[in-house]
Amino acid sequence: MIFDSYQAYKQAGFKPKACILGSGPAGTTIARKLGAAGIPVVVLEAGSREFSDESQDFYRGRTVGDFYFDLDITRLRFMGGSSNHWAGWCRVLDSQDFEPKAWAPDTGWPISRADIEPYLPEVHDILELPDFRPDVPVSDDIRWVQLIKSPAVRFGEKFADELDKSKNIAVVLNTYATELTGDGKRVTGAKLWSNGQDAGTFAADYFVTCTGGLENSRLLLWSNQRSNGGVVPNSAALGRYWMEHPTFQGGNAILANYSEFEVDASNEAFFSPTLAAMERLRIMNFGIRLIESPYPNVKKLIADLACTAPNMAEWMSSQLDQRLHCAAQLYVAWEQAPLASNQIELSKADVDHAGVPRIELHWKKSPLERRTLLEGLKLFGTTMAQKNLGRVRIDDWISNGGDYPTNEETAGHHHMGGTRMGTDVLKSVVDANCKVHGMDNLYVGGSSVFCTSGQCNPTTTITALACRLGEHLGKVIVV
Amino acid sequence: MSRFIRKMSRRAIVQALIALPALSLFRNQPAVADPDEIVEINGWILRRSDLA
Ligand SMILES: Cc1cc2nc3c(=O)[nH]c(=O)nc-3n(C[C@H](O)[C@H](O)[C@H](O)COP(=O)(O)OP(=O)(O)OC[C@H]3O[C@@H](n4cnc5c(N)ncnc54)[C@H](O)[C@@H]3O)c2cc1C
Repeated sequence: MIFDSYQAYKQAGFKPKACILGSGPAGTTIARKLGAAGIPVVVLEAGSREFSDESQDFYRGRTVGDFYFDLDITRLRFMGGSSNHWAGWCRVLDSQDFEPKAWAPDTGWPISRADIEPYLPEVHDILELPDFRPDVPVSDDIRWVQLIKSPAVRFGEKFADELDKSKNIAVVLNTYATELTGDGKRVTGAKLWSNGQDAGTFAADYFVTCTGGLENSRLLLWSNQRSNGGVVPNSAALGRYWMEHPTFQGGNAILANYSEFEVDASNEAFFSPTLAAMERLRIMNFGIRLIESPYPNVKKLIADLACTAPNMAEWMSSQLDQRLHCAAQLYVAWEQAPLASNQIELSKADVDHAGVPRIELHWKKSPLERRTLLEGLKLFGTTMAQKNLGRVRIDDWISNGGDYPTNEETAGHHHMGGTRMGTDVLKSVVDANCKVHGMDNLYVGGSSVFCTSGQCNPTTTITALACRLGEHLGKVIVV
Repeated sequence: MSRFIRKMSRRAIVQALIALPALSLFRNQPAVADPDEIVEINGWILRRSDLA
């Protein structure tokens, strides 16, 4: 069932056991799992079926620190959430991403990749993915990895019919949960705002917040402040360890053989370091996107190479002839070191139309990441040269320690951390089952539970974790 | 003949010519170094053998 207002929903007399906040990939997946398990569940969705400026305005906020996207641009607030404009690039976090790294504090998850693997067949169905091919070692240091460009499932569109027909799932649109109330053991209700006004309090046995990788922290910080710690009793890490995937053009390459690496439909191939290389260089994970494309600067690139490496340039020019697509651009996206100081705070000055403080995001890239960028490109360049696969040139601003450019990709729109998973209540918010520490009936879905970000896009892992949480709740909730 | 060379004395030209083979010998000297060694020059990551 889908209701366009909370008022309409109330008249239907539906009696849910669980309440999910948000209908993005995480919320929709958990709801479908619960519905399939015969558990009546309500999904409260702040937005409507379509984009609207009014709804989007609730997402405005401020960033302090490094340059970042406007917070109302980097996500979408309507049915299906940010899946309405995601690019559909998919890969699951590597098993090494779950392991603690001695050289990077506060890394390591309380679960391993094996814990989400049983859900991957379901994830492939949901996201319409073919099987991933195994990574191919290029050297002891570099792997050729696969990132699948999927059809970018819009969760709101794909599942609208199924949700509408479901007897166990009620999706309630235009219904914003402004605050959870709690007594330090249980969430007792959710305060609602619907159609521009206060809509009272909603009660259910279980609550799952799936409001996105920025909004989960905002909702819980505000709820906790209002209930004097009654919603997140162990709140030291709440809002903290927020992470993105910074992304910048890192250089160029000239390839010896155009067909060495099979590229996807956009002429792209992806490379990542081995764990051994990360360990040796004490760097974070990273992903190099090599774009093979004819582009105007290739002649300049070869001329430039000729000045420094005439032998190579001569050979390249003879190889290249007119096949100028043997040149490539390199983009680097990397894993951020989890830092408590990268955090979501509640604004002291600015509130939304419902009176909820807006987000103040404190975000800075660290020196370890800067080293990851430089060493990562060197590692890739060294492998390319050693194996005679091509030659890499690193952009000057990276070699010379210049400022990050502000006119580039910047980051992936991947909002991770803030309610991270862990066993230490001082450094995490949820346990291995995504249950808020100390609370009996409050769970969190989405990438805010990520302990570390790995190098790959998050939504495949979000969906796998959502399947796992849905299955867990299916066993916990008694009908 | 360029203006520059016309200005040079004959003696200077001969001296330059004599010096040339020596220079190229000098230039080839790194060949004794490992040709597979990885070097970084102007941002390029190269093998030593790439250099002339
Ligand atoms: C431009 C762009 C490109 C992207 N490309 C990729 C990609 O290629 N690959 C990839 O893996 N990821 C990509 N992402 C990220 C991806 O979109 C997110 O990881 C994913 O949508 C997160 O799912 P979610 O369900 O956790 O949150 P969201 O999708 O953010 O959904 C949250 C939902 O909760 C609702 N909501 C918010 N607050 C409340 C509240 N208080 N009460 C009720 N409802 C609320 C919102 O309206 C929304 O529907 C991209 C993102 C953007 C912006």
